[in-house]
Amino acid sequence: MTEILEKGTTPAALPPSESVGRQTWQAFRRNPLGLASAAVLLLLGLVALAAPLIADYPSGYGEDVLASPSGAHWFGTDDLGRDVFAQVVWGTRVSIVVGLAASLLAIVIGVLVGVLAAYFRPADLVLGIIVDVSLSLPVLPLMILVAALAGPSVPTLVVVIALFSWPEVARVVRSQGLAVVPMPYVAAAHVVGGSHLWVIRKHVLPGVAPVVAVSVVLTTSRAVLSEAGLSFLGLGDPNSWSWGTILHQAQRSGSLATAWWTTLFPSLAILLLVVATTLLAVAYNDARNPRTR
Amino acid sequence: MRTFRRALAVAVGTLSIGLAATACAPSNPDSGSGDGGGSADRITIGTTADVLNYNPLVGNSRTDTWVTNLMYPRLMGMGMDGVRTPYLATKWEYTNGGRTARVTLRDDFTWSDGQKVTAEDVAFTIDAVAKEKIGVVAGLISSYEKSTVISPTEIEFQLSQPDGTFLENVGFWMPVVPKHVFGTVGSVQKFANDSNWVSAGPYRLTTVERGQRYVLERVENFPLVPGGPKTKEVVFRVFPDVNTEALALRNGDIDLIANALPPPLAKTLESDSRIKLVSVPSLGWAHMQYNTKRKPLDRLEVRQALAAAVDYEAIRRVALQGKAVSSNSSVLTPTLKQWQDPTAKEYVHDPAKAKQLLTDAGFSDANGDGLFDGLSLRMIYDQADPNISKWAQLVRDSSKEAGIEIKLEGLERNTYVEKYTARDYDIYAGSWAIMENPPANLALAFKCGGFINYAQVCDPELDRLIDEARAQLDQASQKAPIQQAAKIISEKVYDNVLYVETFTIAHSAKWSNFVVQPSELLSIINPVSLAQATAD
Repeated sequence: MTEILEKGTTPAALPPSESVGRQTWQAFRRNPLGLASAAVLLLLGLVALAAPLIADYPSGYGEDVLASPSGAHWFGTDDLGRDVFAQVVWGTRVSIVVGLAASLLAIVIGVLVGVLAAYFRPADLVLGIIVDVSLSLPVLPLMILVAALAGPSVPTLVVVIALFSWPEVARVVRSQGLAVVPMPYVAAAHVVGGSHLWVIRKHVLPGVAPVVAVSVVLTTSRAVLSEAGLSFLGLGDPNSWSWGTILHQAQRSGSLATAWWTTLFPSLAILLLVVATTLLAVAYNDARNPRTR
Repeated sequence: MRTFRRALAVAVGTLSIGLAATACAPSNPDSGSGDGGGSADRITIGTTADVLNYNPLVGNSRTDTWVTNLMYPRLMGMGMDGVRTPYLATKWEYTNGGRTARVTLRDDFTWSDGQKVTAEDVAFTIDAVAKEKIGVVAGLISSYEKSTVISPTEIEFQLSQPDGTFLENVGFWMPVVPKHVFGTVGSVQKFANDSNWVSAGPYRLTTVERGQRYVLERVENFPLVPGGPKTKEVVFRVFPDVNTEALALRNGDIDLIANALPPPLAKTLESDSRIKLVSVPSLGWAHMQYNTKRKPLDRLEVRQALAAAVDYEAIRRVALQGKAVSSNSSVLTPTLKQWQDPTAKEYVHDPAKAKQLLTDAGFSDANGDGLFDGLSLRMIYDQADPNISKWAQLVRDSSKEAGIEIKLEGLERNTYVEKYTARDYDIYAGSWAIMENPPANLALAFKCGGFINYAQVCDPELDRLIDEARAQLDQASQKAPIQQAAKIISEKVYDNVLYVETFTIAHSAKWSNFVVQPSELLSIINPVSLAQATAD
């Protein structure tokens, strides 16, 4: 029965995905800022992947303490004489990994809650209250508290950031889900006897997919910022380099006011990533939406 | 495209708010009110924390001590080598074979409400400390039994056993509080003492603006400085961190930074002609302690290997920028010249020897990752400490070369305190501020069950030597057993002493006549120094 249903209903229920994809891509291609943002993100991704080929892992110490940028040290050195360029390159890896992992975790929780709230109306009230309460929590102090209690490590950061990022995803997904669930093709799927799980998987999830794609990108950039913030406050993993860790060490060493290079370059990296992700998300959204195309 | 511009503005706006928040620019609450530095009538001191406790017997943060030291006298002060100097007490001695100790006080100290400071106040204070077991002082006077007030300026302490550390401990560590105020509040330990202060130091606290400033006014008739304190007002101003303090000193907003400067910052201030730097020796040391109750750190060879994996020279030269001296791996540091053991030798940095020691101890690297299998150790430290969090990284990296994996856990202060109190670590990295009396300090730090015995050492021979020293009444007879004890501590790697820091304190070049005392707690903001300082 299920097989017949799948064959019979799927093509009719969903909009022709290929043409939507192509139209989106064509609109996206015409947007130079979107393309540039994608290129920047691609570049950062490459730097993260190829870190060992670009610079040696910054460890030990060097004799040139707090040297300003030069041919030997492009971004200067820190208070232990270590190369800041190498730190930024290796920091890209941890910052992006934490950003992506935290965002994926937040997306999974957020989508689950959002879809359930939109699909099962009785659950909406309870889940809605949970989301509202979570959204009204003072996020930064709570993150600091949890990170301080759990101790500093990369997995801790991922979980802490995800725990405080999912409610926004849930809210966006729920509102999109509320528009999808009453659609005639969803009702038709129920009429032909589709199970809840099947209807959600085949009809509701594809309907909310575009907002999820935008959420992934935005949540990642927020997660990178949160990671930088927590690490700057000293709650990062001291056994790995991230952009926030570099800033933290510069602040702690007392060289903040005199050695500008220890803070400028990691800050620029954060700026690049956040601006690029925001612009990419908006470009994608505009390209996908027929009204703004 | 319009949405795009809006998004761009939102993105840049959000980011700039974030960056502005992290920049932590301090507001200047005093601008316009003429409260800045440079005035001869007022010395403005920068600190990075508020006073948490105005009760001098309880408060133990640095800012607490700096402020309450100006308000409450102690029996004794301290000279550069840790030797006691007269303060409220003029004379002290042991009698009756060390079972009693007698102290003579000055008769010209007065509380700010007009009452005389007498032996009754001293007796009340020590009884309260002993009865309520208040702070570290209670641990230092365990042999105290009772006191007898002989006259307003004479007091005698009865001890349960001869204890050659008692007078120095009670003399320097115990601030004297007024009996007629603290005696009426019930529990002295719970007394907040946060208003209407009655004090007897060179300055009295008059105004408190939490998070901003603490104003103290001079006591004209303070007897230790002829003619009274030279400067009318001492103001402590609170800053978010040492970076902003340094900026304020450069701008002339403050006259002195109370906190010791991190070495890289000290270097950048060296060339500024408007600023003078003062070197202050530490009375403590920076160290790592290995938790001997945990496997495999209970084995001497493993501790020796860990000690051989540390590049001591690099820590002092690079992390401390040369602002530290070697203690020859001994707990008897060069600051305490009268105790120092000339035969002590520093552990040698030798990764090959470390590997050999571990191989001989049965460790191997079966998976070929360059690290010995089953030897991953957790090292905890306070992540807010700028020096320790720097050298912790050097220790991790140099240990890796010797095949030992050390995982750093730089913790937020409260978590750190909780972990070290529960002895929940493999390696403890930290530093002692003041360890100026070896017989007393070694008892706390290395005797079985000692209050600060972070290595969890339980060595009968060591306990015997420390007890032997404590039973002696003069330093000359205490020296031999203490040096022997220090030798055992070094040989068995119960404590890996890395260096003794030379603190750098910065003040405006307009000010002079400070009196330097050892340690960051006393430095040039000890009561006598601030009372004598003058501006051009």
